[in-house]
Amino acid sequence: MRFVTYVLPLLLGVAVPGVAIGAWLGDAKTNLDVSETAPKDVVRASVPEGGYCSVELKQIVRRVAGACGLLGGRGCQPTDASNVVKLSANDFNQLFLPLKHRVRIIQFDQSKTELDEDAKHAVEEAWGDRGMARFFFVVSRASPEGSVEKNRELSAVRAQAVLDHLMEVYKDPDIQKQVGLLWLGEEFAQLPKEFCEWNRSRTGECNEADINRSAFIAWIDCSI
Amino acid sequence: MEEDKKSPPTASPPVGAWGMPAGTPAAPASRPTLPPAPAPVVPPAEPAFPELRPYDRERELREREPMRDIVRPERTETVQRALHDDRLPDERRHVVTSEGRSARGRGWLWFVMLAAALGAVFAATSTADFVEHLDGQLHEIHCSINVAADQVDGESGCAMAMFSPYSSFFRASMWGGVPVSLLAFAVFAFLAALALALALKKDLTRRDTLFMLLASVLPVATSAVYATISATQLGAFCQVCIGIYIASGLVAILSLVAHLRAWPGEGKLPWGRWALWFGEGVLVVGLVLGLYVAWVPSERPSVDKGCGALVEEPGDESFVIALPSEPGAIPSLEVLDPLCNFCRAFDKRLTASGLDKKIARRVVVFPMDTCVPNDMIRQRRHPGACTVSYAMLCAPQSAQKILDYAFAEQERLLELGKTNDAALKADLEQRFPEVKGCIGSAKAKAELTKARNWAARNALELSTPQLFVDGTQVCPQNTDLGLEFTLTRALERAGYKGD
Repeated sequence: MRFVTYVLPLLLGVAVPGVAIGAWLGDAKTNLDVSETAPKDVVRASVPEGGYCSVELKQIVRRVAGACGLLGGRGCQPTDASNVVKLSANDFNQLFLPLKHRVRIIQFDQSKTELDEDAKHAVEEAWGDRGMARFFFVVSRASPEGSVEKNRELSAVRAQAVLDHLMEVYKDPDIQKQVGLLWLGEEFAQLPKEFCEWNRSRTGECNEADINRSAFIAWIDCSI
Repeated sequence: MEEDKKSPPTASPPVGAWGMPAGTPAAPASRPTLPPAPAPVVPPAEPAFPELRPYDRERELREREPMRDIVRPERTETVQRALHDDRLPDERRHVVTSEGRSARGRGWLWFVMLAAALGAVFAATSTADFVEHLDGQLHEIHCSINVAADQVDGESGCAMAMFSPYSSFFRASMWGGVPVSLLAFAVFAFLAALALALALKKDLTRRDTLFMLLASVLPVATSAVYATISATQLGAFCQVCIGIYIASGLVAILSLVAHLRAWPGEGKLPWGRWALWFGEGVLVVGLVLGLYVAWVPSERPSVDKGCGALVEEPGDESFVIALPSEPGAIPSLEVLDPLCNFCRAFDKRLTASGLDKKIARRVVVFPMDTCVPNDMIRQRRHPGACTVSYAMLCAPQSAQKILDYAFAEQERLLELGKTNDAALKADLEQRFPEVKGCIGSAKAKAELTKARNWAARNALELSTPQLFVDGTQVCPQNTDLGLEFTLTRALERAGYKGD
């Protein structure tokens, strides 16, 4: 009777919970060992690539980013571009065909490098349409009137005008790390008249000369 | 033949009430009076109630263990008088015998035992769920008074209670701490065993059941405290906890009934016996606690190693939002989605733990929604999260208030985001006028895109929340039950010098 009255409460009070928690903690230790050592298969953030990111386009963009636009020095000359990709002019222009809906063509007056109001608006629109892209590509040209050197210089200043406008509007030092400039003058990859149907800063009539007094701008999603 | 001359038979004297000879002045017919107490104990020659066994004192002593309250002459007399008391109904006369005395209340103690066992089952269920989560992973938990019902997944009152800081003690010094339900399990097991012991006790009196009644106050009081915490702090009730509260109440009520039904008993209170039982109760709880602490798994390399470091600290980037912080707080970075329920729960746990004051929280919004063209998030897991994130980026000085609002109204804002994003935008602009005209603008989108690209450069997991203390990620499996322990260690490593 003394056992029942005085010992039973102690024994049962310890035994029942003790056995239960012993079993549970044993399982917990096994599960913990597995979870601490098992490799984690997780999805990680990455910049998705656009479907237009061909090897050749990536080469161009990489060249511009690495040596022509972003790491000291500004912009690439036509010979650099043609040396990098070893493409014909036509093939070069074909690289941008998948970007038709993203590209904006900023038009300039003959022998001019200033952006008109429509051009400024188009630059800002293009800049805002970034998506997940990291690299803003500016490819500028000049129509064949005038000398080769003059046109090369003209196209270089036109590309710079786009960059300057972005810096003026957004005042973000990071822009310098995101914009790559490539000027082609009249020497390489002149645009055919078909590009007049693309998204231009000016409406109205357009011929081959008009479309080549331009800067071709777009965000590029390619991982380079 | 002569007949034997015998003396004529003597007529027995007529017997009146109580076996007294006739002629004795009769008591008033309406109320028989008790005979005067005889001084010596003399068994009657002819028992007045032949069907009753004459009281045999020596036999009583032989059959039962010596108990002082039985061998005292005055006690014997009380029993004797009660046996002959016509005022008592027949069925009550037998309970005043020593066997009948101890039977009183015993039946109720069996019910007390069952109620305590029920409490133990609920407490054990809660403890089992808690222990299952010691591996840091998410599991289903029991959330019904019917413990045999299916376990539930996701957010529930039971999950809220279990992951709250109130579910366990010593969380800063042990991963997960010691669950409160473990102590409840030990207490109920002891009470059930004690009720069983008392139910089997032959000479049960109110001096025994009083201890049981007093002991039942502990689970009742604790239940009251935790019910109040659930109502005021958590805003939700755990079904299994409700089962514990009910069991506590039943134990108390049934103990009271058993106490009232038990034989009163006489003499001083048995302090020695009570002290022994109290000591046993404390010992039971202490031993169970000790077993838990000894056996709980403690090898967790992830606590100190973390889950990786940032490749690129954001610095003073414009997309990083600094929330208000205390001086001396350790820098931390939190990647969150304002419409993510895990982020909301994490924020609650961090605030309730008090550790939010020890870290300087900087937030990078990472909405699990498709915000920009070709976004890395292809599926809209939290529709509307982009809009709320834009609002925070547009007004960093109001970001804390916007975030608190988003957490408080999360379900409604998610519904708005799913059906009418324009209405969600209008709601935010109406509540926070400083964001008007900015939500969804090119500037806001540009900031969010920067945040996305930063996440890509660091190859962050596509999940929220994520916490980085001093550049090292706190592993996700250590941010719920193990939050206080892990964060305390991280702060120590980072050199936190506060209290």
